[in-house]
Amino acid sequence: MFNYIARRLLQIPVVLFVLSLIIMGLMQLLSPEQRAAAFVTSDKQIENLDLIIEKYHLREGFVVQYKLWAGEVLRGNLGFSRISKEPVLTTIRKRFPASMELALAAFVPIVLVGVWLGTQAATHRDSLLDQALRVVAIVGWSLPTFVVAIWLVAWIYGGLGWFGIGRLPSSLLIELAAGDFRRYTGLFTVDGLLNGRPDITLEALKRLVLPATALVIVVSAGIMRVMRSSMLDELGKDYVRTARAKGLAEKAVVYKHARRNALIPVITMAGPMLGRMIGGIVVIELIFNFPGLGEWAAKAALQLDVTTLLAFVMLIGLIMATANLLVDVAYVIVDPRIRYE
Amino acid sequence: MKKHLFAAIVLAALGGAFAATPQDTYVYMQNAVFDSLDPVQAYDGASIGVIENIYETLYSFKRDVPGEYEPTLATSYEVKNDGLTYVYHLRKGVKFHSGNPMTCRDVEYSIERILVTMPGDSGAWFYGDALTGYGNDALTEAKKALGENASQQEIDKFLDAYWQKIDDSVVCDDLYTVRFNLAGPDVAFFAKMLFTAAGVVDSKWAIEHGAWSGTKDDWKDWIGVDLRTGYLHNHASGTGPYMLVKWDDKNIVAKAFDGYWGEAPAIKNVLVQAVEEEATRLEALRRGDADRVDVNDWATVNAKVKQMTGVKVWSDPAWSLAGAHVVFFNFNVQGENNPYIGSGKLDGNGIPRDFFADVNVRKAFAYSLDQDAIYNDIYEGNAAWYTMALPPTWPGYDPDIPIRKLDLDKAEEYFKKAWGGKVWEKGFRLTITHNAGNTVRQAVAEMLKANIESLNPKFKIDVVPLQWSDYLKAARAKSLPIWPLGWGADYADPDNFIHPFYHSEGSLAKRQNFKDPEFDKLIEYARTLVRPDQQEERFAIYRKIGRMAYDVLPNVPYPRQSPFIVTRDNLQGVYYNSMISGAFYWKDLSKK
Repeated sequence: MFNYIARRLLQIPVVLFVLSLIIMGLMQLLSPEQRAAAFVTSDKQIENLDLIIEKYHLREGFVVQYKLWAGEVLRGNLGFSRISKEPVLTTIRKRFPASMELALAAFVPIVLVGVWLGTQAATHRDSLLDQALRVVAIVGWSLPTFVVAIWLVAWIYGGLGWFGIGRLPSSLLIELAAGDFRRYTGLFTVDGLLNGRPDITLEALKRLVLPATALVIVVSAGIMRVMRSSMLDELGKDYVRTARAKGLAEKAVVYKHARRNALIPVITMAGPMLGRMIGGIVVIELIFNFPGLGEWAAKAALQLDVTTLLAFVMLIGLIMATANLLVDVAYVIVDPRIRYE
Repeated sequence: MKKHLFAAIVLAALGGAFAATPQDTYVYMQNAVFDSLDPVQAYDGASIGVIENIYETLYSFKRDVPGEYEPTLATSYEVKNDGLTYVYHLRKGVKFHSGNPMTCRDVEYSIERILVTMPGDSGAWFYGDALTGYGNDALTEAKKALGENASQQEIDKFLDAYWQKIDDSVVCDDLYTVRFNLAGPDVAFFAKMLFTAAGVVDSKWAIEHGAWSGTKDDWKDWIGVDLRTGYLHNHASGTGPYMLVKWDDKNIVAKAFDGYWGEAPAIKNVLVQAVEEEATRLEALRRGDADRVDVNDWATVNAKVKQMTGVKVWSDPAWSLAGAHVVFFNFNVQGENNPYIGSGKLDGNGIPRDFFADVNVRKAFAYSLDQDAIYNDIYEGNAAWYTMALPPTWPGYDPDIPIRKLDLDKAEEYFKKAWGGKVWEKGFRLTITHNAGNTVRQAVAEMLKANIESLNPKFKIDVVPLQWSDYLKAARAKSLPIWPLGWGADYADPDNFIHPFYHSEGSLAKRQNFKDPEFDKLIEYARTLVRPDQQEERFAIYRKIGRMAYDVLPNVPYPRQSPFIVTRDNLQGVYYNSMISGAFYWKDLSKK
């Protein structure tokens, strides 16, 4: 097991290298002028487009540009983000915790709701409940995220005045900007407690409710579908029939035996899902005014900010590789028959 | 009991009822992100909207009175030497946010820092034009003047001469008198000094934090640099009524400056947030979490904002934006294998490069543009008419010039006259481009297509959206035959519109290969009228240019949306000044 993990860890730099080659290669398909657009803030700069192209070596070939970039990265400099107007690393330090906090807040309910509903649907196969849950799943799965998000913002926040948008209310943002609030983790929910300010934790939690709910509505449907079919698979297998024949209580059969095995496809799905959520659900971040990585990267893509995109893709590559590794480890915990050599 | 306790906890957690921002706090949610807080670098409305409250210029705009100014860091000024010298007398007893006193040295440093750095993507060029005669940074100018193969010695010599110009252009006569020596007469110099780039920076503080030293020693290191990587990019020490507390990615927090020389403002805390989703901004306004929000258009104001309680829409038909939008014609289209002009001949499958050089073609196109539909349908009547490419509230604008509205009979008449009747007989095919996503420009293009194609089955127009960068690139290469585009003011002087739009060397006219000696002569003459008593004569020339432009028709101006401001109804002191990026200064606000 240890060797296996070590081997997998060693693969990560290779994955990142290949990813950087792909992104840089794709960028070469765009003209230097198109890439220079990331540096343009006003149409009056048309006259200076050539200067920009020259200054940032945008007319150079792939190898020269890759070397320039990789050289800086090896010196620990991920470059300057034209989108956030600050060094890429500074932005990641600021935005990663926001994405992390939101992803974690949504992830647990998504999995719990998905697994629970999927189990219910499978154990009540073809019943009214199953049919109803199937409809719910299809509706949830097909609802565009922005519709759910805007509905929550307009109805729950705007209409009822509950919860809030943004990471913190304006009065706290003003106070924290001036005060001596220390950011240990960047997660306001945790830092609030560490600073002895439970009010900040509570406010941060309140502002996680709506975006997390939107994610639960949209994403848990997928988990539920997978859980249902996987559970049905397991319930039809011999060992379940044997367990039932032995007179084991139905609850024990379903929850102790079948569900444990049925979780494997869910785990396979959940790992990358968490990675993707940290990577950012652009629409959610945009609508709930939640300054995470996704919104930053989406803008970088639209404005062809190569430096930002490269850093973002590498970061997500790293997160996904780690998530996949964790998934593999989780398999062993759920199913002890799985062994890695 | 337990039930009540639970309900109480839930209610507390939900955030309870209506939550207005505190009485001494102003929260503004805008749709754009900030580019830089360095006055020299900032060239976008979002950043400038913050900077104009933190830094101050020598004079500033007098609330909402167009064309009127009031002394700020200066108390008076004089124009000498036929407009080549401007002397400003500075206010005494002014302090920076750091506590340092403001003197002429800071003014000298601030303006020279523009001339030293001259970032290509900033407004520095118009200070260079005025003070050194160079619109680009020293190295770019050296390359332009000496060519690629210049020796280091030649370059050094050029740079020395460039530095000398910078050094001579701003001089401290004494601690409270600053003299600007211009490279040539400049009618707009006073107006240029009101732009935020000329905001006075705390030189001692800036140098301490690693900015340019203010001397010749290290000036070459700062030529053309991207100031976004410098300390002043996200830190500030100005003399303004507000001081920067923090720029945290999407939030800018500022507070009232206790040591401000002027009256203490009523609003003590300001939070400006970049919130790009309009629906979110609107709900925050409805909830009272924001005191002011950006709303994209009048349609949203009429459909949504006006239904909200506790919200106020500030507007006035007399207001107009500091910009103009027009349809440009290219008098001589460039580019090999140009896809926008078809066959390149007048054979029914394309147009010749000088198609629009015939005024009949231009008039036929102008009569095919439905200006009423733009005014009424796109802007729902909340728009300003433009008779020329100058904002209607600016001096020099002539409201009496007629506007060509949709008249297909006239369009047909001019098409029949064009190119000696060949246009009507052979037909043509051309492409109108617009930048993708700009719905107004798309509507303008589609409107021209529909109306013109209805006149003659041999007329074919393709409408093609281009990505912004491609659009600008094609316009720059002079390869677009006809395209709608806008222009926003850099400084509050009509020359900032008249020259770019109508002079053959103007940045916009150049792209359409428009050259008319009569226009050039008048505009150049107007530029020599620098004395205050000559201004009426200058504005009369601009009105004449407007009338000439009606006949010559180098471009077709069309209506623009009237500006409006959306706030909570307890916000007081709101006004609109098209040259203030945030529409008003924060210091004039209060809440009831």
